[in-house]
Amino acid sequence: MGQAAGLSKLLRKIRWEMDAFSWSQLIIVLASFTAFLIVPLGLVVVRSFYSSSGGFSFYWLQTILTDPFYFPLRLKLLNRFPFISLEGIRGSLYEVVKYQTAGGEETIVLLTGWDMGVIPNSLVVATFTTLFSTVLGFTLAFIFAKYRFPGSEVLRIVSLIPLLSTPFVGAIGLKKMIVADGVLNVLFYDMLHLLPFKIEITGLPAVILVQTLLFYPIVMLNSYTALISVDPTLEEQAINMGASGFRLFRTVTLPLATPGVEAGALLVFILSLEDLGTPIVFKGTTAEKVLTFQIFNRIFTPAGLISQEATTLAMILLVISGLVFVGVRRYVSLKKYAMLSKGGTWRPKRRKLSPVVTLLVYIFILGVLFFATLPHIGVTLLAFAKQWGPTLLPSSFTLDNFIAVLSDEEASRCIMNSLVYSSIATLFMVVLGVSAAYLVSRKKSLPGIGALDLLVTIPIAVPGIAVATGLFLTYLGTPLSPTISGAPLLIASYTVRKIPFTVRAVFSGLEQTDKTLDEVAWTVGASRTRTFFSIVMPMILLNVLAGGMLSFIYSMSEVSTGIVVGDANHRDAPMTWKMYDMLFHGLAGGTFQPAALGFLLMTLQFIFIVGANLLLRKRATALIGV
Amino acid sequence: MVSIRTVNLTKVFGDVVAVDHVSLEIRHGEFFTLLGPSGCGKTTFLRTIAGLEMADEGRIYFDDQDITDMPAHLRGTGMVFQNYALWPHMNVFDNIAYGLKIRKVPKEEIRRRVKEVLKLVKLEGMENRTPHQLSGGQQQRVALARALVINPRVLLFDEPLSNLDAKLRVEMRAELRRLQRELGITAIYVTHDQEEAMSISDRIAVMNRGRIMQVGTPKEIYKNPKNEFVAKFIGQGTFILGEVVTYGEELEVRLESGKVVKAVPSHPDVRLEVGDKALIMIRPESFTLEPGKGYNEFEVEVYHISFLGDSQMLQASNEVENFIIEVDPDLEINVGQKLKVYAPPKHTLAVKL
Repeated sequence: MGQAAGLSKLLRKIRWEMDAFSWSQLIIVLASFTAFLIVPLGLVVVRSFYSSSGGFSFYWLQTILTDPFYFPLRLKLLNRFPFISLEGIRGSLYEVVKYQTAGGEETIVLLTGWDMGVIPNSLVVATFTTLFSTVLGFTLAFIFAKYRFPGSEVLRIVSLIPLLSTPFVGAIGLKKMIVADGVLNVLFYDMLHLLPFKIEITGLPAVILVQTLLFYPIVMLNSYTALISVDPTLEEQAINMGASGFRLFRTVTLPLATPGVEAGALLVFILSLEDLGTPIVFKGTTAEKVLTFQIFNRIFTPAGLISQEATTLAMILLVISGLVFVGVRRYVSLKKYAMLSKGGTWRPKRRKLSPVVTLLVYIFILGVLFFATLPHIGVTLLAFAKQWGPTLLPSSFTLDNFIAVLSDEEASRCIMNSLVYSSIATLFMVVLGVSAAYLVSRKKSLPGIGALDLLVTIPIAVPGIAVATGLFLTYLGTPLSPTISGAPLLIASYTVRKIPFTVRAVFSGLEQTDKTLDEVAWTVGASRTRTFFSIVMPMILLNVLAGGMLSFIYSMSEVSTGIVVGDANHRDAPMTWKMYDMLFHGLAGGTFQPAALGFLLMTLQFIFIVGANLLLRKRATALIGV
Repeated sequence: MVSIRTVNLTKVFGDVVAVDHVSLEIRHGEFFTLLGPSGCGKTTFLRTIAGLEMADEGRIYFDDQDITDMPAHLRGTGMVFQNYALWPHMNVFDNIAYGLKIRKVPKEEIRRRVKEVLKLVKLEGMENRTPHQLSGGQQQRVALARALVINPRVLLFDEPLSNLDAKLRVEMRAELRRLQRELGITAIYVTHDQEEAMSISDRIAVMNRGRIMQVGTPKEIYKNPKNEFVAKFIGQGTFILGEVVTYGEELEVRLESGKVVKAVPSHPDVRLEVGDKALIMIRPESFTLEPGKGYNEFEVEVYHISFLGDSQMLQASNEVENFIIEVDPDLEINVGQKLKVYAPPKHTLAVKL
């Protein structure tokens, strides 16, 4: 058998598997992703190696890596031993500020953290966020998976609340809690006198704190699913052989759950890296010195030019996320969720706890939940607050913030814009997502299907700000230019960025539907196209609906492209841009009105996520888990 | 009604040759069974006939029409799957009517034909049930009705009875056969259950590792196995290794114990030569306790007795070889008892190794 024979066999195989309908499915998916993901990201990479005169050059990469602002760490040779010089690191972990008040001297400890330059900062923030989220998420998952105590189910669901967090909302809410005259200091310093001084968390530590509280449920959900999917007889066998306590945990339980934990942790790393909303809220502190914010700040000049510096930074961010994503794929197949959602047919064994331990567990969980729900409580209070000085609660409540927001012409137009763009994008995502999921699930034997799978899951790992940069690079000056109308690029960007939610929901539905149900339709005479519409689609309808709902709501809360495009063209800006705009350029209302917008978005998100989960019931874990 | 012919049909999955150059001819209206252990390629063969798998090599013909590259939905096969594969979002009527709707059969006729076929499979009045309201046996009948209603050119069964309990399985077996015969549709049936294959088929193809080991009527396969695999896979028997010492008018084989027995070739096609290794096979029911002229005689000691109601199976040995012997259920016999048993040469089969 020569190469020619192999090739002709391959062609025959392709002809056999692919009819006109499958081809059209494949082509629309490939065309959309090429136009709005591959080409834009490709341009980000290519353009970052352009010199100002247009030729190939390392100028910008070199400039950035030698600029202490971005990368102050220097490799130095001293006594022939290379070591990394830490000279460029500024600041200290904390600062003590004293000032006089009417009641005497007050001390504030500012947790500011070191500033190591933009690139190391991003990595350090992502690392700590991942570390804290993993410890917190896994501990909670372990408690909920292994122990039984009154109220454990309720607490488990409450601890997933941060998943509902919308952009800015968490950060705005939490900021109100942790500043010097914020709720926590009022509570613990002014009222309870538990602290000897006020503490204000700011800058990068604040970003880490906010992100940890936002992202730990991702690790928790993955770990929980992994833990309850472990066959209890495996542990029983180990106990039977004499293992117990920590040894049992270390040698059996943990290794079995590791893939789920790792998947969650690596996803958190990427999400932290690409988070733009949190740094924006802490604007004015060292929180600005992370990659996403720097790109955002430089990307677009009012003259309609794309900054080369921003492009190169986007390229660096893209490369880092890409490497992490390869890690995810290597350790844990992203398809794992399909398998995990099938598991758990047995009743997981849960041990009862002694009263003392139960009390300790309660204290721990309630403590975590207190912090985790602070943002939501904070933003809700802000949304309804009339005035809120340095007190525990707002001094008076009102609905004026909502009235102000809804009667503001620009704000209501932005809400409308978001609804329209997200609806249209959802339509595209359903068509493309169902097509892609169908091909990946049903044509596994075709060469190249793995690549298609990768293509439609990879947007998870692609930082939004890099996509935004790429879209600007590609489409400025074309009829799709955001300076003409923001709509096309926003819809396109929502579609490619949020499609993994639809794909995953549909794919898990397809995997749970026996392929013989398709096959038997063929044997009685239905073409593949007809089978697809009359057999496959009705069976996965719920998954399509739920996936569409999730994609819709995540489109509504998309930040990166939204605020970049919104800045270029206020008329077509989405809701998230308006929130950003009100936070920093708003006149009256302070944080109250953006909080009101955030509250609206949060409510919408709550309805949609709960709705999608109800539709999918048991399969729901498939949606958040990697 | 068609005849089906495959020529060197081959299907490869990765490194595994699931179907290995299979050439078969299945006649008009025949009930043809593929029998083999799991993983032998029988289901893959069936799926290739249905067009669910692409043939890597070889051709498939329905009568004289080459359908090797024809898409599944144009082949006009009716297939019944092991898991029934009823569409959960449709009721019984819609499941069965689906194929007719595709053929744009008028509504009234659809109604009539669904009713007819439901009567045929004894499910009258069940039109509005949903699949999960049905028992396993009923689901199986719906799956069968769905395959029958389109008047398929060929019926394909992929272990259709293996999910039913033993009693129902026996009933359904007879019913399948009755329906197939009445309708006169060519049928290919896949199973790993040899008893099922024996009781239902016109002819059986025994498969192993993607290859056809023997094709024949149930009787031929049982009485005249062509090779060791078929001899051991079908039915029970006493197997003793030996070497051919005489081959001509008579066939004599020297067993490992040194004893020489008179035998016949297991199958008319089997050719042996002096010095060949051969496997002597004697079916349990071929043994007698009465000597006859020229019978082979064995002296054995019984070590286990299985009472089966209509017979007793003795497991016995003579220190070198093990025997399985069927005896009259009324015979008084005990473990440890020594016996002389006899086998006529015409039932002492020499299988070529």
